[in-house]
Amino acid sequence: MKRSIGAGAAAGAFLLALALVPSPAFPVLYIDINAPGGKRMPIAVADCVVDPGDPSLSRGIPAILSADLALTDLFDLVPPTAHIETVTAAHFSGKPLSFPGWKMIGAEAVVIGNVSVRGGRLSIEMRLYDATRGTLLVGKRYTGTPTQLRSIVHRFANEIVFTFTGVRGVFGTEIAFTARPGKSRGKELYLVGMDGQDLRKVTANRSFNLFPRWSPDGQWLAYTSFRTGMPAVYLRNVSTGAEKEVVRTGGSKAPGGFSPDGVWLYAGVSQAGNSDIYRVRVVGGASEKVVVGWGLDVSPAPSPDGRRIAFVSDRGGSPQIYVKTIGVAGEARISTGAGYATSPSWSPAGDRIAYTVRSGGRFVVATVAPDGSGFREVASAPDGDCEDPSFSPDGRSLVYTYRKRGYSALKIISSDGRRQRTLVSGLADAGSPAWSPGR
Amino acid sequence: MKGTFTWKWAVLVLSVAALVATGCAKKQTVKSEGTQGDTGAASAPSVGEAPVKEAPPAPPPSDQFASAAQAGVAVTEEKPSQFDDVRFDFDKSELTEDGRRASQAVADYMKRNPKAKLQIEGHCDERGTAEYNLALGERRATAVLTYLVSLGVPKAALSTVSFGKEKPLDPDHNEGAWAKNRRAHFVLQ
Repeated sequence: MKRSIGAGAAAGAFLLALALVPSPAFPVLYIDINAPGGKRMPIAVADCVVDPGDPSLSRGIPAILSADLALTDLFDLVPPTAHIETVTAAHFSGKPLSFPGWKMIGAEAVVIGNVSVRGGRLSIEMRLYDATRGTLLVGKRYTGTPTQLRSIVHRFANEIVFTFTGVRGVFGTEIAFTARPGKSRGKELYLVGMDGQDLRKVTANRSFNLFPRWSPDGQWLAYTSFRTGMPAVYLRNVSTGAEKEVVRTGGSKAPGGFSPDGVWLYAGVSQAGNSDIYRVRVVGGASEKVVVGWGLDVSPAPSPDGRRIAFVSDRGGSPQIYVKTIGVAGEARISTGAGYATSPSWSPAGDRIAYTVRSGGRFVVATVAPDGSGFREVASAPDGDCEDPSFSPDGRSLVYTYRKRGYSALKIISSDGRRQRTLVSGLADAGSPAWSPGR
Repeated sequence: MKGTFTWKWAVLVLSVAALVATGCAKKQTVKSEGTQGDTGAASAPSVGEAPVKEAPPAPPPSDQFASAAQAGVAVTEEKPSQFDDVRFDFDKSELTEDGRRASQAVADYMKRNPKAKLQIEGHCDERGTAEYNLALGERRATAVLTYLVSLGVPKAALSTVSFGKEKPLDPDHNEGAWAKNRRAHFVLQ
């Protein structure tokens, strides 16, 4: 996750200043993201200046940005109908905004933008102001093609979240998942933006394409495909579509996740009917056994520091979640031992493991500390199953599968279980969601 | 700093930040970010970010890919079988009495037809995680293979593949359908 030079400098200066202030709560931030239900930042996103270009961008860009900010519970958006001041090109060359006016309508922060489209070249300058002090908090100038508009706006939305919280936003990230297209009996890989936009099919070989897993650089998806008739694990470049096979030997096989340095791909692979956990060098293909023994061992999820994996084993009679330190003998069970517990996903901070557990005849999503303490149910439905959690790169949300008889959807819920929204619905048998790394 | 977090703090922070912002940002305040050619010297080489680039459309499938696609179609179809399926209990891979009887009929056929090759497909019902079910289907198919070998069928005539829960025989969502879908299915090659 590269932070742009500009944001780095601004944030650096900001944090340096705080370091000079004696404060017991360093780092002190505008918005405490660990205080659910706390006060939100009132922010106004002004209509953009467009010259030259499609006049609808004037409202279109603030709409994209506002939709992003509204996905967090950090901001209160001051509605455009309340805005008094019209932003002009002069505001980008020295003319100050009328900050008391923005304060008067309740805005603590103001975003302005200046857009031009010339000869297929898109240029956007965006600025975030502190309305109380009338100072520029962060400003960025982006250039690209008009098709890159949305991702540019997502990037500035991430700057805004970073400025106020110290944690980069996840706008512009994507979720990979599987579903059955149309009336096909097969399953294909799909991608969708975390805002539910830009849904698209990735594979089209009409076989079973399963278990997408992101490489740490967000460039590759590992997945299992039956396109030759037998399962194999492939790596697919998300941008170019180039593929290479990484696991061919063995029976059933499913990628679990990459080591954080991207060197290893962990996978569950069956030999003679018994699945064990292996890791394969992404370059070179050499493999090592990581977890072997009686019982099905599947779904290896590496910890963010790469030292441990969480995985599923039915060695005790039913599938349960275990944690193992790589290279050290012994594995500790962290799920209760009762029922049916599968599909672990490690939080980016390494402090929680989300998984699917059967509870009262239903599957629910729960999280637990890596030592098995602090069990917390996060997502459940009285009339259906919640399964296959995957954390967002900022750790603040989880995407999971909701299923009720024939209906399926992907949903996103805040890690505390308080806020939930539907990401994708209307596709048959949607499942196995995997949230991409930060952008 | 929970619910009691007050705006006084925020104002203080804002003031500090504002001082810094005005102090540091008098001259160059808006940073440029190109989407092309800006390789970002500070970025990690493995990330290789080309900022704000959207994925180009996937390249058209190659010939090799097209032939694989045809194989894919076949993979998703239920293949007819002259043998009864072996059924399993939920989350189990042990053969039941009925399962042994069905397997016996298969073993008799295989011994009468020594040139025959048989693929044993393992399947699961829709409940539970797809990955676990894929491994469970493999274990079911292997359990049947092992039993057939114990009945005298040469191992070389047998192979297994698991489809996990991806290929239900009955697409319904009730105990009757699930019972049919937890199965080993025999396909003569």
